[in-house]
Amino acid sequence: MNNSARLDFLKELANIGTGHATTALSQMLHGKLFRLVTPDAQMLPFEELAEYIGGLEQIVAGIFIVISGDVKGYMAFLMPYESALLLVELLTGEFDGEELGELERSALQEIGNIMITSYLNALSKMTGLLMIPSIPALAIDMAGAVWQSVLAGAEVTSDVTLIRTEFSAQGKAIEGNIIFLPDEEDFARVARILGLEAE
Amino acid sequence: MVEVFVNMGQIRALKTEGFLTTVGLGSCVGVTMYDAQAKVGVMGHIFLPKQRPNDRDALPGKYADTAIPAMIQEALKLGAVKHRLEAKMAGGANLFSNLNPNSISIGEQNVIAVREHLQAAGVPITGQAVQGSHGRKMRFSVADGSVTVTAIGKTPVRI
Repeated sequence: MNNSARLDFLKELANIGTGHATTALSQMLHGKLFRLVTPDAQMLPFEELAEYIGGLEQIVAGIFIVISGDVKGYMAFLMPYESALLLVELLTGEFDGEELGELERSALQEIGNIMITSYLNALSKMTGLLMIPSIPALAIDMAGAVWQSVLAGAEVTSDVTLIRTEFSAQGKAIEGNIIFLPDEEDFARVARILGLEAE
Repeated sequence: MVEVFVNMGQIRALKTEGFLTTVGLGSCVGVTMYDAQAKVGVMGHIFLPKQRPNDRDALPGKYADTAIPAMIQEALKLGAVKHRLEAKMAGGANLFSNLNPNSISIGEQNVIAVREHLQAAGVPITGQAVQGSHGRKMRFSVADGSVTVTAIGKTPVRI
């Protein structure tokens, strides 16, 4: 499979995964509409990764999950702090919208968990391969520090394949990114199973 | 005045004046080296402790074991003298602290590796703001060698 076909395939996976993830989130939010932006699949050299998310000093909420099983990899769910606050408010109803306490943090962690699990379930069903998410880890900090910690956690080396889907809800008040960093070899196996690549 | 931003894996050097800045240090470690007499400053933004066998073409600044010697070389090129170099470091935090709570975090591994390689090279550490669970920004003034470390919701510290 050439590189562009490969990236197209990844985009398709991301479309399906994120579709399920945002449906799960919509259900939690009583059917409020979510809009997905066309996924972006890229293979980036390490040198360009730092700049990939932009706004390095903005505060974001980031959730990080390690995937084990037949397909290994890493997933991150990043959203601006304001979006995280709004989401928690929509979910809990009673939140004063000021600062995130323990309860609000675990609500956010759970949101990330549900989204990522739905994403992975969709891919598992399609491929028949097992993908087990770890417990979600949450960080609220400068975007650069959170992103960099995700990349270090994934121990990325040279060229990194990443798939990102943006979504928004409530107009544009809630937005975020789901990022999938699949293990290269496992990914090639997925492609074979789906008949996209010769043995 | 010139301000140079140092991204993940990069090493940058300045002489006489200006700032070397790195933002978004999470588990990464920012390291500065300074020769006060020559007014030469170098900054690195180290990603992981040890070079991977499958990443031989990596920037030397990406891994602690290759970054520290490369930083010294950069300082010498601008006229620093090795025995006058002093180092400061910041970062090495563990932002996702509930992930693998029983193993040594990547941040801590980075801090340990940087200290080890600085010691092996004979460069003393004169200031540090490391570990914990929050991200940091580091701004290094090459005119006087001072390093200011800032974090969200915290008072900036000078190390």
